[in-house]
Amino acid sequence: MSGHPDTHTGRVALVTGSGRGIGRAIADRLGLAGAIVAYLDHDPELARQAADEAVKAGRVALGVSADVADAQAVARAVKQVEATLGPIDILVNNAGISPKSGADGKRALTWEMDIDEWQRVVGVNLTGAFICSNAVLPGMVARQRGAIVSTSSVAGKTFCDIVGIHYAATKAGLIGFTKHLAGEVGPYGITVNAVAPGRIDTPLMRGTASAANEAAKQATPMRRFGTPDDVAGTVLYLTSGNASFVTGQTIDVAGGWLMT
Amino acid sequence: MTRAQYDYSSHTLVLTGACGSIGRAIAQRFFDSGANCVLTDLDQDSVSAFADSLDPTGQRVLALALDVTDPAKVDAVMQASHDRFGPIHALVTSAGLYDDAMVADMPDAQWQRAIAINLDSVFYTCRAAIPFMAEQSAIVNIASLAGHRGSRAHAHYAAAKGAVLSFSRSLAVELAPKIRVNAVSPGLIDGPMVQNLLSLTGSHFIDQTPMKRLGQPEEVASAIAFLCSADASFVTATSMHINGGLYIAS
Repeated sequence: MSGHPDTHTGRVALVTGSGRGIGRAIADRLGLAGAIVAYLDHDPELARQAADEAVKAGRVALGVSADVADAQAVARAVKQVEATLGPIDILVNNAGISPKSGADGKRALTWEMDIDEWQRVVGVNLTGAFICSNAVLPGMVARQRGAIVSTSSVAGKTFCDIVGIHYAATKAGLIGFTKHLAGEVGPYGITVNAVAPGRIDTPLMRGTASAANEAAKQATPMRRFGTPDDVAGTVLYLTSGNASFVTGQTIDVAGGWLMT
Repeated sequence: MTRAQYDYSSHTLVLTGACGSIGRAIAQRFFDSGANCVLTDLDQDSVSAFADSLDPTGQRVLALALDVTDPAKVDAVMQASHDRFGPIHALVTSAGLYDDAMVADMPDAQWQRAIAINLDSVFYTCRAAIPFMAEQSAIVNIASLAGHRGSRAHAHYAAAKGAVLSFSRSLAVELAPKIRVNAVSPGLIDGPMVQNLLSLTGSHFIDQTPMKRLGQPEEVASAIAFLCSADASFVTATSMHINGGLYIAS
């Protein structure tokens, strides 16, 4: 049976937006499972710290900095990762932003949004996934193996009052991105999936109004916020030999919220 | 092939349809991961023989004959499981029936049998297990690609599997946060059921599958092992496709 190796040991994983939050948890979890992890973050200090802590814990890791919306910067980062760690076998498109504005700093209304903000969010959340996939796929296709997982969101599937239209549209875009790419690269033994977190307790979530967060918790059958580790467990599965025949899917990690 | 990534030591699995090709892979996977396995299927001799092959000592297996369309017998199995191994940590409903009939030609009895085996049994099994389920336990019901997309000459099967999906979501809400409930939807998985289909349709379905192959029963078992694990701690009320991309929709 073809498919992903049974273990993560020795596989090189590039996780974008892994300086903190969900991305950090995913990268750490892959590393704990034996993967060699490249922590990529826009903030070089966060990337360096995350990698340093992994190395101190006895794992092989590298911190790299790039804006995922910048194709040349990503190309440089991928080159650096592959030269240092080896060919990238796992890509997690996790980098994302969700800007807020308004008097309380917690709103993102379409009629108040300027086009620069829209384009910036599309650039990071959606175009960034294209740029990173575009950079690693030639190697994956040549080696006939690889796993790509993108962090979508329940906000890409239904109305969510704490995000802006740019965030919702890009997270929905990642679901279509996942479906198309899965069909395209399936014949090369590469799987492409997404996770759709619900309300996860992260710095990004804490940037939104607490009443809205509380309402979301009450709408979640599990009656709690998710943790970054909850999301990491599903990404670990999707990049493992256990999921060699799972592709094109978006797995909700939302405690039963929405239920698609 | 060992993929004992999830540790089910001192956990108990209750499985219906244990002698099917997917059922066997599920039992093997959980047994290899340390679980006690309560294995049920229609025929006592078959399920006993399978249990013996899994664990000749008999210490971690219990083989019981079960007609899943008989609610009293389903209740008795859950009681027997609890008497032997204590609380249930994973319940997997794998019993099913897949036969061919066009709606125009389908007798009432064939429709009713398909609904009884593929749907009623899931209700009976889940209802009977609830009082015995452990804290932080999980139920996985096996649906099908047909339950999402429909299937020519299998309207009875597809209707029942579609109902299993919405039953599972409803049950997930009822049982949260104590018990997580999810469904898996296999696509074309290697086994007698699919070989019959391939003999009629040739390479069409494999050509339509981006991964250009059939799935293996172990790959369905892997998804279930994940969904029952702590790694899926915030995953409930979902359905997961294991189909190599044959159906990329919901």
